[in-house]
Amino acid sequence: MSDLNQNMIEKYRNSFLKEVEANVEEGEWVKMCMQCGVCSGSCPLGKHWAHPPQEIFMMIRAGKREAVLASDAMWMCTSCYNCIVRCPREVPITHIMHGLAHYAKRLGLAPKGQPTMAFSQIFWDNMLKAGRVNELKLGLSLYFKDGFVQGVKNSLANAKLGQNMMKAKRMNAAEFFGGHGVKDVSGLQKMIKKAQELEDARIAKYGN
Amino acid sequence: MTEVVATNQTILVVGGGISGMTAAIEAAETGKQVVLVEKRPYLGGRVSQLHKYFPKLCHPTCGLEINQRRTKMNPNLTILTMAEVTGLSGDAGNYSATVKISPRYVNENCTACGDCGKAVSSEFPNEFDYGLSKRKGAYLPNTMAHPMRYVVDPAILGSDEAQKAKDACKYNAIDLDMKEEEISIPCGAVVWATGWKPYDAARIQPYGYDRFPNVVTNVEFERMADPNGPTGGKIVRPSDGKEAKNVAFIQCAGSRDRNHLYHCSRICCMATLKQCHYVTDAYSDANVSVYYIDIRAIDRFEDFYAAVKAKSNVGFIKSKVASVTQDKDGNPVLHGVNTEGYQRYANTHDLVVLAVGMEPSVEAGSFPVDILINREGFIEPAPENGGVFAAGTASDALDVNRSVQHATGAALRAIQVVNRVAGTEG
Amino acid sequence: MSAEKKLVGYVCTGCGIGDRLDAKQLLSTAKREGKLQECKQHDMLCNAEGVKLIADDIAAGATHIMIAACSRRAKVEAFHFPDAAMTRANLREGVIWVRPASGENSETTQEMADDYIRMACAELRTINKPSSSGEQSLIKNILVVGGGVTGMTAALEAAAAGYAVTLVEKSGALGGHAALLHKRVPSRAASAGTSNSRNAALPQPAENNVPELVSRVGTTGNISVHLNSSVAKTSGAPGRFSVDIAAESGSTSTGEFGAIIQASGFKPYDAGQLSEFAYGASPDVVTNLELEGLAKAAGDGPIKRPSDGKEVKSVAFIQCAGQRSDTQGHLPYCSGFCCTTSIKQAIYFKDQNPGCDTTILFDDLRTPGAAGEDFYRAGQQKMVTFSKGKATEVVPGSSLKVRFQDLILNEATEMECDLVVLATGMVANSGPDPYAPADAAQVPVASILNLQYRQGTDLPHLKHGFTDSHFICFPYETRRTGIYAAGPLRRPMDMQQAMDDAAGAAMKAIQAVENAGLGRAAHPRSGDLSFPSFRKEGCTQCKRCTVECPFGAINEDEKGYPLYNESRCRRCGTCMGACPVRVISFENYSVESVNQQIKNCNVPDEFQEKPRILVFACENDAYPALDQAAMSGKEITPWARVIPVRCLGSISLSWITDSLNSGYDGVVLMGCRRDDDYQCHFVKGSAMAAERMSKVGDTLSSLNLEPERVVLHEVAITDVERAPKLINDMADTVARIGQSPFKF
Repeated sequence: MSDLNQNMIEKYRNSFLKEVEANVEEGEWVKMCMQCGVCSGSCPLGKHWAHPPQEIFMMIRAGKREAVLASDAMWMCTSCYNCIVRCPREVPITHIMHGLAHYAKRLGLAPKGQPTMAFSQIFWDNMLKAGRVNELKLGLSLYFKDGFVQGVKNSLANAKLGQNMMKAKRMNAAEFFGGHGVKDVSGLQKMIKKAQELEDARIAKYGN
Repeated sequence: MTEVVATNQTILVVGGGISGMTAAIEAAETGKQVVLVEKRPYLGGRVSQLHKYFPKLCHPTCGLEINQRRTKMNPNLTILTMAEVTGLSGDAGNYSATVKISPRYVNENCTACGDCGKAVSSEFPNEFDYGLSKRKGAYLPNTMAHPMRYVVDPAILGSDEAQKAKDACKYNAIDLDMKEEEISIPCGAVVWATGWKPYDAARIQPYGYDRFPNVVTNVEFERMADPNGPTGGKIVRPSDGKEAKNVAFIQCAGSRDRNHLYHCSRICCMATLKQCHYVTDAYSDANVSVYYIDIRAIDRFEDFYAAVKAKSNVGFIKSKVASVTQDKDGNPVLHGVNTEGYQRYANTHDLVVLAVGMEPSVEAGSFPVDILINREGFIEPAPENGGVFAAGTASDALDVNRSVQHATGAALRAIQVVNRVAGTEG
Repeated sequence: MSAEKKLVGYVCTGCGIGDRLDAKQLLSTAKREGKLQECKQHDMLCNAEGVKLIADDIAAGATHIMIAACSRRAKVEAFHFPDAAMTRANLREGVIWVRPASGENSETTQEMADDYIRMACAELRTINKPSSSGEQSLIKNILVVGGGVTGMTAALEAAAAGYAVTLVEKSGALGGHAALLHKRVPSRAASAGTSNSRNAALPQPAENNVPELVSRVGTTGNISVHLNSSVAKTSGAPGRFSVDIAAESGSTSTGEFGAIIQASGFKPYDAGQLSEFAYGASPDVVTNLELEGLAKAAGDGPIKRPSDGKEVKSVAFIQCAGQRSDTQGHLPYCSGFCCTTSIKQAIYFKDQNPGCDTTILFDDLRTPGAAGEDFYRAGQQKMVTFSKGKATEVVPGSSLKVRFQDLILNEATEMECDLVVLATGMVANSGPDPYAPADAAQVPVASILNLQYRQGTDLPHLKHGFTDSHFICFPYETRRTGIYAAGPLRRPMDMQQAMDDAAGAAMKAIQAVENAGLGRAAHPRSGDLSFPSFRKEGCTQCKRCTVECPFGAINEDEKGYPLYNESRCRRCGTCMGACPVRVISFENYSVESVNQQIKNCNVPDEFQEKPRILVFACENDAYPALDQAAMSGKEITPWARVIPVRCLGSISLSWITDSLNSGYDGVVLMGCRRDDDYQCHFVKGSAMAAERMSKVGDTLSSLNLEPERVVLHEVAITDVERAPKLINDMADTVARIGQSPFKF
C-alpha cells in the first residue's frame, strides 16, 4: 500500500488536486467550491472535525496531501447530506468526504485505530461473509474489537439495548449460529473479488 | 375611456421606475413622442422606497424631484399609471401594444387635499413600507408620489368606506364607477424597463425570516432608516422596539446560489456597506458585522468599502451563514464557520438584515412579448428582440447608476427605430 | 416684448383656501397692491373649467398671469401655459397647511397669504416669458474623440440614429486596446433552459468582435474617420462647436459639430512599478494585456512563455496587482474587469491543455451580474483553481516562485509556476483637470480636447483621474455642456459596459444637438429657454461670473466682458449671484425679480411685534422638503416668507443686505450639501453661496446687527422635519435677541 502511496506522490508531484480528481469518488467537483463555508457551518458534527469540509477542499487545492489524507476529519461524516443541500454550487461534499476516506485508507494513510474506519471494516467483512449484515455478530465484533475484557464491559453496558432489539425482533440470538444470507454467497464473493481486481488494476496503472 | 395619441413613431416605455423614467424622459427631451406605462399608481419604482443611495449617501427623492419636474414639463410624454402591457404584436417600427388600465377610482380633479383619506378608517398593509406600516383605504402612496393623486383601494369598493371617501371629496375626484380598461397603443419601438423585485427571503429557510421577527430584509431596512418610514427613521427591532445596535448583515441571501438565484445581484454588497452607515450614524456604540463571501465593491466604489472597513465598529466575517436561531430574549443567533482561520461561531445580534438579491419582476414565461431571456429571466440584448430594448434591471442585476446608463442607451436604440420609420415615411 | 403687458391674477379657493382665508381681501390685495389689471376667483382652478378660464384670458391677450393656489410644484401639468409669463403664490402648502386653523391665528395666516400674493404680483411685474436668444444653431454632426470600442460604438449608434459622425483617432488604426484581445469575456449568461446542475453548459470566451466593429465603422456611410489625428482646438458651444482636427502629417481641418463624445479610453497601468512581482526582472511575468498578445500569437497552439519559448504548463494569476491598495504608485480603486479577464485567460490555458495548472490568487472575486457569476462557474468547471490569497512576492528563475498569504488557511506559502500574469488595472486617459489644486504634484498630461474655455482645456475629473459624473441619477452630466465622456475614461469598466455606455453617451449627444438647436437648456433645467444677459454699461469686467460659473460656460471677450455661450449655460444663476454690480439677469429670474418680492412683502413696525423672516430655499431640495412638511402637517412660523431660488449660488448678497436694511429680522438660506459628496445640482452653486455668505458677517457688524440673523443650512429633500424647524429656530432666535432695529 505504501508503494501505491509513493507511486501516487511521484505521479501527482505538483497537484494533489489532480490526484483527488482522478482517484477520489466525485473528487473532480472539489474545483466548484466557492469558499463560502456554508457546508462547514451547517454540518451537525462540524465542531468535532479537525478540518471542516471547506477547509479540506482548500487544503486539497493548497496541496496539503499528508495533512488531508492522514486527517480523521472525513471519517466524521455521518452522511446527513445537509452540506450538499446547502452548497450553492452543488458540490457533492458528502460523497467526496467518503471518497477521500476510502482513498486515504487504500493508501494506508488513514489514522490508525480510527473508530469509524474500524467499524467500516468490520461492517464490510461482516457483510461479505453471507451477503447480508448479521446484526448480532456485527455488534459483538464491534464490542470486542479492543480485546475481551473491554468487549465484556461494552456488552454489559449495552445489554438493555440488545434485549430490547431482540424483543422488537430487530435482532435474533440464533443469528450467532450462521444467520441469514443471500442465495449465492460464493457468486457474490466472486463478483466483489473481480471488482476489487479491476479497481486495483486501475490504481496500479495510475500508480506506475 | 383613456385616450392616447400615438403612432408608429411613438416609443412605448414599459415600467416607470428609475430606468423607465430615464429612458422616457431622455427620448422625450430629444423630441420623440413617448408613452410611459407604469403598473403602480405612481412613478419612481423601487428607488422611491430607498432611504439613501450609495456611494454618496444622498437621497433618491432628490433626483426623482428633478425627473418628475422633467416629466411634468414635457408635452411629448404621456404617462399611464396603474397600467400594464399585456400584449405586443407586430414588428419593429410597427407594433401594437395592448395595455390594461386598472381603475384608480380617483380622477385628475384630485388636488391631493387628503380629505378622503381622513374620512375613511379601514387600514391595509402599506406596500410602500413592505407591509411594515398601515395605510388607509383611500391613500396617497407617498409624499413624493407622481402623479400627486390619491388612490382608492378596490378592497373598500361597495362598502360604506368607499361612499365616505366619495362624500368627503369636494372636487368630484372620486369616481367609484371607474372600470378596468383595455386599450391598444401603436408604437414603433419598446423600451422594456420592468425592473426587479427582492428575492423572497422566506425561501431561505435556515435564516428564519418567516419565523423570527428580528430577521428583516435589506429593502425593509431601507424603510426603517427613512424618517418617513414605519419607524420614523429609528433603527429598532420589530419584536420589541428596542434599539438595534448590534446588527448583522448576511450577504448573498439568495444570490449566487443554485438553490435560489444563480446570479450575483451586484448591488447587495454596496447596499450593505451603505446600511452600515445607517447603523453607525444612528448609534455611537453600534456594533456591525457583515458576513460575506466576496465583497463586490467594484471600480471606484472601492473607496466606499475602504471607508466602511476603516470603521472600528464594523467587522467583516468571511462566511456564508449556515443558520439563524433565536434565543429566549428574541435575539437572533447566527451560526457558521469563519472561513478565514476556521472559527466556528454562534453570534448573538439584536437584528439581522438579509441582503436579499434582485430578481426580474416579470417571471420568466409570463412576458407578454416574444423576447430572449436568460436562465435567470433577465432580457439579453439580441437581434431577435426586434424593436424591443431592455433597460435597467430587466436586463441584469444593476445599481441605479448603471441602470440609468443602460436606460439612456436603450432610449437611443428605440430612437434609431422610430427615426428609421420617420425616414422611410417622410 | 413689444406687445402691451397684461397682468391677470387668479385666486383659487379650493383645498380649504377659501375656508381659511378671506378670498375677497386676497383679490383686492392682488389688484390694489399687486397692480394686476384683473384678478379672478375660482373654487377649483386646476379643473378643466379653471384651466380654460386662464387659457381663454391668455388667448384674449393676458401676457402675465399670477396663480394663487397650491405650490408651484403641484398641478404643473394643469397650469402649463407656455404662452404667458407666470408666477405662483403658494397659499396651500405655503400658508394654510403649515398654520393651525384656530381662530387666534387667522390674522397672521391671512397676512402670510396677502404677502405671498404681493410677492407673486411683484415678481410678475419684473419678469417676461423667456424666449430663446436666436444664438442657437442646429448642427447635427457629432464628433467622437477616440477610436476604441467605446468610440466606435458611439459612432455607430449615433450614425444609426441618423446623425453624421466624425471619428478622430490618435493612432494609425481603429480598435484600441480591445483589438489586441485574443477572445472576449462572454456578455451573456446561461441561456434559458440551461439545467441547474453543476456541469451545465455555460458561456465560454467568445470571439473578439472588434475587427467586425472596425469594418462596420468603415462601411457606414455617415461616419468619417480621421486616423493619426488629434483635436487641436475646440471652441464654441453645443450646437456650434468648431473643432480643429490636426493630422500627424501636419494638415489641419476644421469641422462644425453639435456635440462631442470623448471616448479617449484608458492607459494600461504601468506594471514597471510592481518590482515585488519581478515585472521587468523576469520576462515570464506579464500583464493581463501582454498575455492577450501571447495567446494571440499562439493561435490554436499552446501558449509559450517569453523567456525560452517553452509551453506553459503552470500559470498563476495575481489579481488586484497594483490595485485596491494605498501603496504609493498603486491604484486605490478596483478596475472591475480583471477578475473576469483572468478567468477568461485561465480558460485559454485549460482549453489548450486541461492539465495546465492555472491558479487565480484573489482577495474578493468580483464577477457580478448573471453573466459574471456564470463565467466564474465556467472557470471552475474547467478546473481553474481559485485561491483566496494575497501575493507578496514573485521570485524570478527558470521556474517562478510566487509567495503568498493563503487567506483561508491563514498561512504564508508559495507555489511554483512557469508564467505569472499580473491582473493590472486601467488608468483613465483623461486630459488635465481644470480644477486640480495648484499645489497638487501632477504629472503633466497633454490636453485631449483643447477647449478654448475660460476654465481649462478639458473635462473636469471626478476622482482618480476619471471624468465620471458625480450624479448617481444623472451619470452623463459632465460639467461641460454638450461634451459627454464615455467608456473607461469615466470609470473603470469592461468591454460590454463600455459599449452600453457608448450608446448612452451617444443618446445624450444627440439630445444636446437637438436642444441646442431650439435654445433649450440641458439638465437639470431641461427645456428652460431663459438665459443670462448683462447690462454691458454697468459691467466692471471683474470676471467673477466667468470664474465662478460651475460649468465653465462663460468666456471673456478681448476687453474682459463676459461671453455667455447660452447653450453651454445650465441656467443656475450662479453668475447672477456672483455679480457685485447686479448687471446679470434672466428674463424670468433676476436680482430685481427677487428684490421686488422682498420689498413688496409687508414688514410691520416694531410695535406690532410681528417679525419677518426671509427664507431662500433651493427649488430642488429645500422647497420640496417644505412642501412635504406641509403635507404632513408640520407648522411653520407665521413670520416666515419663503422665496424659492434656482440655486443658492444665484443669491445676490444685495438681497440679504437690502432685506435687513428694510426691517426683516432674520434670513435663512437653505441649499444643498456642498462637500465632496455634494448634492448641488449645479455642482458648485451651494459651495459658492457658502463662501460668499462667510463674508456677510462683516456687513452685519457694519450694520450693528447680530450675526445670528443670517444663517445658511444644508438641507436635503428628505428633511421634512428639519426644514420647518430651521425656520422656526430663526423665529426663536429673533424672539431671543429682539426685533431688527431697522423697522420703520
